[in-house]
Amino acid sequence: MNSRMMVKAVLMLSVLLQPPLTWAVERAEVEETARLLARLLESGRAVIERNQTLIDDPHKGDKGLTPELFEAELVREFRAKSGIDLTALPTAPVSIVIPPLAKELLPVLVQASRDVVRDAQVVINQRGIGYKNFIPATWGSQASARFSKSSHVRLKQTALDARNPKNEPDEYEASVLKWLAARPRAEAYVSELTEEGKTLRVVMPIYYAKDCLACHGEPKGMLDISGYPKEGHKEGDLAGAITVTAPLSNR
Amino acid sequence: MWMRRSGYRVAMIALLAPLLPGCGLLIDVVEQVWPVTGNRVDIICERERVQVGLTMEPFRPFVFPTIWTDEGARVTGLDVELIKAMTDELSRRCGRPITPVLHLVRFRDLFRLLNEGHLDWFVSAVATNTPAPSRAGVAYSLPYFYGGGISGITRSSAVIDRVQANVREQTLHPAADRLAATSHALDGLTIAVQGETSAYYYAEANLGANRLLVCDSLPAAFEYADAQTEPRIDVILGAQPVLEYMVKRVRRDWALLTRDNGLPLFLTKAEYGVVVAEESYRLRWLLNDLLLKLDESGRLREMRARWLDEDYAFPRRASLEGLPFDVEKMAAHYVQGTCRLKPLP
Repeated sequence: MNSRMMVKAVLMLSVLLQPPLTWAVERAEVEETARLLARLLESGRAVIERNQTLIDDPHKGDKGLTPELFEAELVREFRAKSGIDLTALPTAPVSIVIPPLAKELLPVLVQASRDVVRDAQVVINQRGIGYKNFIPATWGSQASARFSKSSHVRLKQTALDARNPKNEPDEYEASVLKWLAARPRAEAYVSELTEEGKTLRVVMPIYYAKDCLACHGEPKGMLDISGYPKEGHKEGDLAGAITVTAPLSNR
Repeated sequence: MWMRRSGYRVAMIALLAPLLPGCGLLIDVVEQVWPVTGNRVDIICERERVQVGLTMEPFRPFVFPTIWTDEGARVTGLDVELIKAMTDELSRRCGRPITPVLHLVRFRDLFRLLNEGHLDWFVSAVATNTPAPSRAGVAYSLPYFYGGGISGITRSSAVIDRVQANVREQTLHPAADRLAATSHALDGLTIAVQGETSAYYYAEANLGANRLLVCDSLPAAFEYADAQTEPRIDVILGAQPVLEYMVKRVRRDWALLTRDNGLPLFLTKAEYGVVVAEESYRLRWLLNDLLLKLDESGRLREMRARWLDEDYAFPRRASLEGLPFDVEKMAAHYVQGTCRLKPLP
């Protein structure tokens, strides 16, 4: 085989390998984007949780938890969790760490998250009223719904024993949640292709922290402050998951 | 052309006017010959939305504080369920779905907004029999809630004893009328009321000798009392069903004023109705008919039992059945306000 033939063979091989390679790159990009979106939603939930005492303070009217302040805290929290500075996102170079799809979608989720806090101001700033049901779960449901409306990627909070029927898991989510529930707590996430490789599904588990147990802990069956029966969970139990469903186009 | 038609109409009115025995009929004829605007019911059906006012100050269990749910901000309560039931019935009458657009505003602004035509009706445990000049220009539907009225709550057993002693004293020396006798029950006490409510007008008209604190809301009265600000509040007056709900479920450190026999002390009785503009005659007929239907079907009784007697947590009801409201039209944040001493006349 002379050198000309060698070059031809390599070229042929690269042409043959092109579609799977492109597809693999796309999958990696979508998976990383999905992971970052889930992480961002998780960060928003953490910000709400941190401000819960303030939100539920019956003695304070204007809580000062403005959409701007929330966004600033969200950006900080997300940077701590992912190492990505959302304020520098527009000028950040495209890389494996920040794929182009993430550059496009993360700001959409930030906007949706901020809009929820803006619309909730009338509820948050009521004085004389303690519990307002503005908690990580209800914030997250709205932020996910608004984000999903304005993008082709679906973001959702789900659980095996979801209180909101709209958060009920689908068949795939239920099977992953059952699998996760049978395993010890881990920081890992599940990523899988479904619909013959046309859709990527990412499931990021959420575990109960001590603060969650006031509503979801013991005694099982007793009504919590919002009127739902407590589930009897313990710290570290699987609470549910943030799931991302994204279509893959290049297959 | 317009002048000629207009002249014809005026001539017709002039011709028919002497034949009519009353002004109302004259107005009806003018409207038939010269139909200026459609009536409120037709307008509601046409626009497929009904503009309903609701107080933003919580009057539990009629109107609970707004709450956040998975679907966004929601409001719930007996009055909200009533709005839903009435709107469902209205949809059947209009032959198309009618959506209620809720305006959550301060109680005192409800009357103004109705008079300015921004609302089709409002509902917020409003007594239909409050004699007050500021309530001119409005009319009331049939009652949807019977057996309400004005009562009081206190944190002090000494105040309850004193009120009961005052009532006993009055029975020994019957006054010329019951109103005067009942109002003497609160002699020497410092009273707090929410401004422009029925309790406020009752106090203004009948408790002139008492020290009166006018509060922006019921929560403001509780906060003022909790802070032990001088002059100390002895009694908070308000709608009896609201006060009873508060002392049973929210502020168990307060108690209803009672008579010797343990029954609640009513300063006056009241029924609560839907408030409409005085000139919305057809709408009022329609509302009366809707409420009569709800009454006869037992739905009003069920609502009362659901909200007053059952054990429930309102956030869950807000999540399951609450209504959204126009966030844009609400104040940036609800300020419950404070209380001020009303100067003696």
